[in-house]
Amino acid sequence: MTKKVLIVDDEDMVRNYVRRALSSRGWTVSEAVNGAQALAMMGKETFDAVICDLKMPDMRGEEVVKNIKISNPGLPVIVITGSVSNISDPIVPGVSVEGFLIKPFGIDEIRDLLEKVTKPQAERS
Amino acid sequence: MAYKANVLVVDDEQPIADLISFSLTSHGYQVSLAFDGQDGVKKAGAEKFDLVIMDIQMPNMDGITALGELKKIDPELEVIIATGHGTLSTAVQSLRKGAFDYLHKPFEIKELIAVVERALEKRRFNDITKAIFSTIKPDELPRVIIDSAMRILKADEAFLALSGRDAKLSVAVSEGLDSEGERISRLDLCARMREQIVGGGGGVTLVEDPAADKRFSDIAGINGIKSAMLLPLIENNRLAGIIGLNRRDGEEYFAENDIQRARIFSSLVNLALRNANLYRQLQETQSQLIQAEKMSALGQLAGGLAHEINNPLSGILGLTQLVLETLPAGTQSHQDLTDIEKAVFRCKKIITSLLSFARQEKTRMEPVSMNEVIEETLTLCDRQMELKRVKIERRFGEGLPLVTGDFQQLMQVFLNLFTNARDAMPEGGSITVSTRLAGHWVEASVADTGAGIPEDILGRIFDPFFTTKPVGKGTGLGLSVCLGIINKHNGSISAHSAPGSGTTFIIRLPA
Repeated sequence: MTKKVLIVDDEDMVRNYVRRALSSRGWTVSEAVNGAQALAMMGKETFDAVICDLKMPDMRGEEVVKNIKISNPGLPVIVITGSVSNISDPIVPGVSVEGFLIKPFGIDEIRDLLEKVTKPQAERS
Repeated sequence: MAYKANVLVVDDEQPIADLISFSLTSHGYQVSLAFDGQDGVKKAGAEKFDLVIMDIQMPNMDGITALGELKKIDPELEVIIATGHGTLSTAVQSLRKGAFDYLHKPFEIKELIAVVERALEKRRFNDITKAIFSTIKPDELPRVIIDSAMRILKADEAFLALSGRDAKLSVAVSEGLDSEGERISRLDLCARMREQIVGGGGGVTLVEDPAADKRFSDIAGINGIKSAMLLPLIENNRLAGIIGLNRRDGEEYFAENDIQRARIFSSLVNLALRNANLYRQLQETQSQLIQAEKMSALGQLAGGLAHEINNPLSGILGLTQLVLETLPAGTQSHQDLTDIEKAVFRCKKIITSLLSFARQEKTRMEPVSMNEVIEETLTLCDRQMELKRVKIERRFGEGLPLVTGDFQQLMQVFLNLFTNARDAMPEGGSITVSTRLAGHWVEASVADTGAGIPEDILGRIFDPFFTTKPVGKGTGLGLSVCLGIINKHNGSISAHSAPGSGTTFIIRLPA
């Protein structure tokens, strides 16, 4: 069974390349253009990981991430954002996420990070 | 011939007017006459006078009324009241209205001349006070001071020497001294005068015929000085400079009243120098505020822009790489897309530097050793410097107090300075890093042996986006980030440079 990942970003171009970069590696990629849609989709389907932008028109990405983490505490989440400059910046106060990428990021960066955060716990380094 | 001053005599009694006029003319003054108050006011309105001598009781307009009118025409015009039937109350009244002094008729010529000279002296002092205090630009002040000193003390030569950083005096401006040799001999004389006469202390000092005085006669080049005067300028109990004034052979010796003038004058100059200092500090503070304002505006702009730009940039990068994966290496398209990919990384780097402003990152302040910060930074770039044939010379002060700072951020500052220094020396050279304790500051300086920074751009190097590096080489943000960091540390950073003799950056942090 292929693994499923949800990408949440209001930017078409970003969803587009992330989807293609990951599906060519065997991932089944679903897309949501805003936070409400993402949460609705997660109510119906199960995902192995979520990639979520922090700044979207309807709901702050932080809220989306918080909601995901409350309903699915073990689900790996990768936050992507274009508005901070340093990994050490606090991303979502009070919530820890598994991965973090600053835009612009390349296709190998997102592939590698996603592999890393979805490996079974025992295999993670 | 030039007159000492232009005087208007106002008196309805012709013989008295004539007498005053005659006495003044014979003492070198130019005199005009008016025969009542109205006439006097009219003449003062038509011609510029330095001084008015006026009776009180006159037809048409009395002296007290005329005095008021004269002061309206020219508030700085000095008026001496001369009265035969003056009571104390009229005298007081006239002084209140702004008269300089009053004379009781009959008065002696000597008395008249003395009071006229005093009035003119006050005028001269008023003039120079105005000149000195209206000059707030520090670089113009020395010239104004020396010109005024020459005038007020009737000197043939004058110079102003200010003490530099090493407390050594050097001549800032001089008048009547044509060669460097002359200036040096005068400075030597002054140093000896302070040593011999006041034991290095303050106070106006006077020497007559120094070349014939065995305490000074060995100083070369002082022949021809008849009378030498030294005015110390004291600031915060320390000698900030001296004014030297000399009269040459053929002139008169400086006298007691000259010393008095000199004392008043040097206290004026002290005040003016302090004013100029305060003004400079004010300007510095202002420009720092403007700089801070600029940075914060830029930071906000950058934060907003970064998100807008990074999203499409991310799309460009990702899609480019996706296409790259499908193209065989070595084709033109592959090469073109690789260039696009590189361009995106360049943009990313610029935005990251830009965001260093916007970042509201907490600074982690802790006691740090400036020497350690520098040593750590040097470890990072030692190898790089070696490759570029740049020699690092360390002159670390020992036992320096710790400063409160963010180790990483301070490293960023030094790394920036070292990188800039390296880039300023494409043919190699050396960087001298020194640290020392300077008053309440721990001071670090980074000096290179590069081409130096021309004066016209030295003032802009801390501006965001200002760069002299080729396009693509520098973001123009390095030094403005440094400034931001040092400001956060309550310190200061400054650059000193002269074309051809390298550039020195000085960082000061509170000890």
